[in-house]
Amino acid sequence: MTNHLLSVVVFAPLVGALVCWLVGRKVRSESLVGAVACGSVAVSAVCAFLVAFTGEGGGALRNPAAAPVFSHLWTWIQVGTFRADYGFAMDRLSGVYACFITFVGFLIHLFATGYMHGDKGFYRFFAYLNLFMFMMLTLVLGDNLLLMFVGWEGVGLCSYLLIGYYTDRKEAGDAAKKAFVANRIGDWGVVLGIMLVFWLTSGAGHPSISYFDKPLQVLGTSGGPEVVSALKTIGGMGIEPFGWHWIFAGGITSAAVLLFIGATGKSAQIPLYVWLPDAMAGPTPVSALIHAATMVTAGVYMVVRCSAIFSHAPTALFIVAVIGAATAIFAATIGIAQNDIKKVLAYSTVSQLGYMFLACGVGAFVAAIFHVMTHAFFKALLFLGSGSVIHGMHHEQDMRRMGGLRKYMPVTFATMAAGWLAISGFPLLSGFFSKDEILWKTWSSETAGTAGIGKFLWVVGIVTAGLTAVYMTRLMVMTFWGSERFREAHASGEGDEAHAHAHDEDRAPHDAHAPSEGDRPHHAPGDAIDSHAHHADAHGSHHAVEDFEDEEEEHEEEHHHGPVEPHESPWTMTVPLVVLAVLSVVGGWVGIPYALSGGAVANYFEQTLEPVVARAPENGEVATHGAGAATHAAGTTAEAPSAHGNEGSLPQSVGEGEAGRGAPAGHGAAAAPSEHAPDPAEVSQERLFTGISILVGLLGIGIGWVVFSKRPLMPLPRLLENKYYVDEVYDAALIEPIKTGSREGLWRIIDVGAIDGIVNGLGRGTAALGGVLRYLQAGFVRSYAAIILVGALAVLGYFAWNAWQLAR
Amino acid sequence: MQPYLLTVLILLPFVGALALAAHGLFAPYANERHYRWIALGFSLVTFAASLLLLTQPVGLGPGGTFHFVQDVPWVSAIGAHYHVGVDGISLWLVILTTLLMPISILSSWTSVEKRPMAFFAFMLLLESAMLGVFVSLDLLLFYLFFEASLVPMFFLIGAWGGERRLYAAVKFFIYTALGSLLMLAGIIWLWYLYSQIPGVNGGTFDYVLLHDAIQQGKISLTVGGVATREQFVLFALFAAAFSVKIPLWPVHTWLPDAHTEAPTAGSVILAGVLLKMGTYGLMRFNFTLFPEMSRKAAPFFIVLAVIGIIYGALVAMVQPDVKRLVAYSSVSHMGFVVLGMFSFTEWGMQGALYQMLNHGVSTGALFLLVGMIYERRHTRMISEFGGLSKPMPLFATLFVFTSLSSVGLPLLNGFVGEFLIMFGFWNSDPAVHNVTRSWLVTMLAATGVIWAAVYMLWMLQRVLFGRVTNPANRRLSDLNWREVGLLAPLLVLMLYMGAYPRPFLARARASVEYVRARVVAAGSQGVFHAEAREATK
Repeated sequence: MTNHLLSVVVFAPLVGALVCWLVGRKVRSESLVGAVACGSVAVSAVCAFLVAFTGEGGGALRNPAAAPVFSHLWTWIQVGTFRADYGFAMDRLSGVYACFITFVGFLIHLFATGYMHGDKGFYRFFAYLNLFMFMMLTLVLGDNLLLMFVGWEGVGLCSYLLIGYYTDRKEAGDAAKKAFVANRIGDWGVVLGIMLVFWLTSGAGHPSISYFDKPLQVLGTSGGPEVVSALKTIGGMGIEPFGWHWIFAGGITSAAVLLFIGATGKSAQIPLYVWLPDAMAGPTPVSALIHAATMVTAGVYMVVRCSAIFSHAPTALFIVAVIGAATAIFAATIGIAQNDIKKVLAYSTVSQLGYMFLACGVGAFVAAIFHVMTHAFFKALLFLGSGSVIHGMHHEQDMRRMGGLRKYMPVTFATMAAGWLAISGFPLLSGFFSKDEILWKTWSSETAGTAGIGKFLWVVGIVTAGLTAVYMTRLMVMTFWGSERFREAHASGEGDEAHAHAHDEDRAPHDAHAPSEGDRPHHAPGDAIDSHAHHADAHGSHHAVEDFEDEEEEHEEEHHHGPVEPHESPWTMTVPLVVLAVLSVVGGWVGIPYALSGGAVANYFEQTLEPVVARAPENGEVATHGAGAATHAAGTTAEAPSAHGNEGSLPQSVGEGEAGRGAPAGHGAAAAPSEHAPDPAEVSQERLFTGISILVGLLGIGIGWVVFSKRPLMPLPRLLENKYYVDEVYDAALIEPIKTGSREGLWRIIDVGAIDGIVNGLGRGTAALGGVLRYLQAGFVRSYAAIILVGALAVLGYFAWNAWQLAR
Repeated sequence: MQPYLLTVLILLPFVGALALAAHGLFAPYANERHYRWIALGFSLVTFAASLLLLTQPVGLGPGGTFHFVQDVPWVSAIGAHYHVGVDGISLWLVILTTLLMPISILSSWTSVEKRPMAFFAFMLLLESAMLGVFVSLDLLLFYLFFEASLVPMFFLIGAWGGERRLYAAVKFFIYTALGSLLMLAGIIWLWYLYSQIPGVNGGTFDYVLLHDAIQQGKISLTVGGVATREQFVLFALFAAAFSVKIPLWPVHTWLPDAHTEAPTAGSVILAGVLLKMGTYGLMRFNFTLFPEMSRKAAPFFIVLAVIGIIYGALVAMVQPDVKRLVAYSSVSHMGFVVLGMFSFTEWGMQGALYQMLNHGVSTGALFLLVGMIYERRHTRMISEFGGLSKPMPLFATLFVFTSLSSVGLPLLNGFVGEFLIMFGFWNSDPAVHNVTRSWLVTMLAATGVIWAAVYMLWMLQRVLFGRVTNPANRRLSDLNWREVGLLAPLLVLMLYMGAYPRPFLARARASVEYVRARVVAAGSQGVFHAEAREATK
């Protein structure tokens, strides 16, 4: 199926970005830029839903064959047997992603028009944001690994640009650079993983990096030979048994591990998670869109997209599960002790992403995507809510200076409460279903690799769930309940986004709702401790140079933080909050498991995605029937799993790949989704565990409430507040040694000292010889010519003589 | 027209230089601005003429064939010919040269105050020499152009360079001249070997004749498919010249000095074109004339290339001088090119050729941009800058864009080349290049991409972002139309070459494949050992 509307989905935001950049910088009209930016994403969203739900066979999400919708544009790189197309494809997985990305993206764009109101770089901000949408959609809709990588690095770039959006603030620049470099480390793995995938498929006779089979009618007349799905080829190979040596064996496990390195970068997992909390230096809508809802879940997308690869590598799945669980609990403990409202949410995001990888690791790929979606709703909501709080508090981010805000900001409070309950796993809210699904799948995991530690991982998961409820309750209590601490004088100022942002206001008052001067921040000199840190004037870069110094002075005068009067945000900001709140409540209802619904409501989500992901091999399965058992019963064309007893053999069995070519998407799929054959004992056990989850969630909320409503400013362990000193350790153990070693070792000693020393020494020797010849030659250039000549003749003669000797 | 086009290309800049000299001689008091217009005019006409190369299917036919060939006896006493031609390997390098030259001349529009006539004349002479290098099919002719390119560059650095210009110029000259003299010995040796073929009267410098003679075994450099020691020495003599030019670690130390001290236009040409003469020479001469030795020596070059990639990047990271940083990044980038060539795969070798073009475009643009702030501030120290995005937003945008191209962001040109190179090496055949753990080599080389992000972004942050702390930077003027105009073609190319590399790769395919096949077909064990030599006796 071809539907070129798919290309519109991707390119509409790019057009928006170009218009914002080229026209916006000249026109400087916020309404124009806002309309273009939101409009382009709206177009994209509408087209995404059209492609997903309408058209041939019912659209990408509904067609019974689970076949992807293609939009092949051109062949990007073609050298030898290697081929990467510039073409898009929407199957059920990318369809789910594209729909929530464009929809949530649109809401956040709308929110941002209110939040960024009055900012000097308004057009620049929206150009970046639109460019991000383009890259993100390229990432999920690209029909091969390399085009995914384009989006993968592209979103990293946009993240870099947007984190560093307040260009004159050092910490924003540092955070941006850190994010890009951490992502690049991950990208190293992705590139190598892609190469290994090609190498593996080459060995199997179908060199490819495409996700799907692309028949000639999709490629068009000049498209060249048919493209065979790489995932299907690998799906047809034997499963590599569990064993650490497989990581370095250069097979499927190695490919999976390399790809997962990329995921740890992009999705902020241990050990590369350190960039995400710092990324909060960007404007809050950016945090909501990029660093909560979309980009950071790209790692999950990739793992699930390559589920055919991961499911053949139990060792890799084990690593994924352990890293995910470890990250989940690690970040949750840090989240408890943070005082910056955005930092709490950042660590919460890291923790929730850990959950998603835990799900992937135990083979519950659908549950991972389910959590990605519900998380996109409630975490975007929480971030936007925090943005609304920050906005209403006149750019205060420290929760210690908030409190009692619910009567000032009723809409923000109500909507954030929905997000809070959703993430805490309050029954029937979206987060409850997705998180419970993951926990249950972890407990009941029979997957080769993680079966042994499934119970332990579940304990980690349930503890994390409790911690999540505690720190989210703490956030809510500190912000919305308790005494109104914002009238007190400030202890210290942390240089964060808010402060930089605030400085825009004096040039162009950004809040039309501010009724009186009394609403504006006071500025009493001496009020702020380190006024300098606050003076990061975030005027985009395009103001006239002439008024540069005047501004500088103005900033010295104004904007010390004094007591503020909070206020509710304008409608452009509250409407997205309300919509997201509704989704946070009901969003989980598309995926109610059989155990809870008793079959009354179908689990639409699982039914939709089940055909396009591979099923992880169960424990023992690897040994009994290796090749293809798990993978080749794709969707509708049910195929008898052929049993090969080739455990331990290198994955070169092409035969399976051939056999599966009838399958539309080329993915393996579960032969029988568990839902269709519920085992009563299992159902009752699942219900029991759901009960435990509910209890833990409520317990967490209770503990958080009891502890923090009494003592909202309760000091917490230093170790947690300082994030286990991981940044410091990285700095001391890696960054400084590399810098110093490069400067003092490589450059000063080897380059300048040794190599140049030898060269100059030779030069001096020749010059000494030249000194003798000086009597023959006069003049500067000539003496050099003489040196050169003599030296050259000597070397030449030596070589000629030597060579002659050798040749004889 | 066809047989004369290459000669016209070589002569046009030369005539331009003569015109400049004549103008200086006969109208010594004329407005000095005339010079730059004359130089620009000639370089633009040369560029336009070079585009005519695309009218023929250069590189699209079978490999090993040359187009626009002109072959006339030159010094008949020694069998030297004037033999020029172009194939898929040299085609884009010729066009890169003709494109970068008018851009460099435009970049020197206002910055050359001292003796502009001589400056522009040297630039045009340099262009003639570089074009000659890429189209010569006679080794003596090649050598002459190779050496001739040194002289104008020597003077450009020595006379119009920075503070340590003399040191840099002499270092550059001695380093590269020594290398190329070794090559001259090799060339003469080949001439001698040809003259020893029974039934041949006198030697030849002709590349095609020598190539065929070696391939057909008339000049025997192998015994039983094994390279003789004679081939080893010949290979080494040629490789010495090219390694210095590339520059391969550890003979790279002339480059940071030369790049840093050269005037902007000189740096652009040096990075953009001159370095490619080294990799071009390896691919054209070493690979096809000494294929057994190329395979035998591959591990040596691969190791040096990987060292260069990482070392260049790490040292670039800690440079306090922007230009020196870009110079060291060239060492890293050229390491990639060498790595790709010695993968002996279609991907790696085409990627290497593509990366040569990319490096010319991206690093050329970087030097142009650095030159633009140098003109304004007369310093290149990173610590002197900071917050330039505020007074110079357009400059900042273009600088970031070019840097991203340099670090290999997908959809920009650098990515395609680097990816193909790493891809090629990953998928290469250890039996061909004798490096068993190609995956490990690729993994190490791929870290270069991480380092690239580190040094480029760190530099960008310190130069462009943050608050303007130095009062001297507050009122800098943003780029003017001339500056944007001269960067524009390069920026467009970065995007185009990144998104649609096919036209470039298509023209290069057959010729690169021909070279690759020649190397791969050569004796599978290019191992020299004493028994082989005994067998000859």
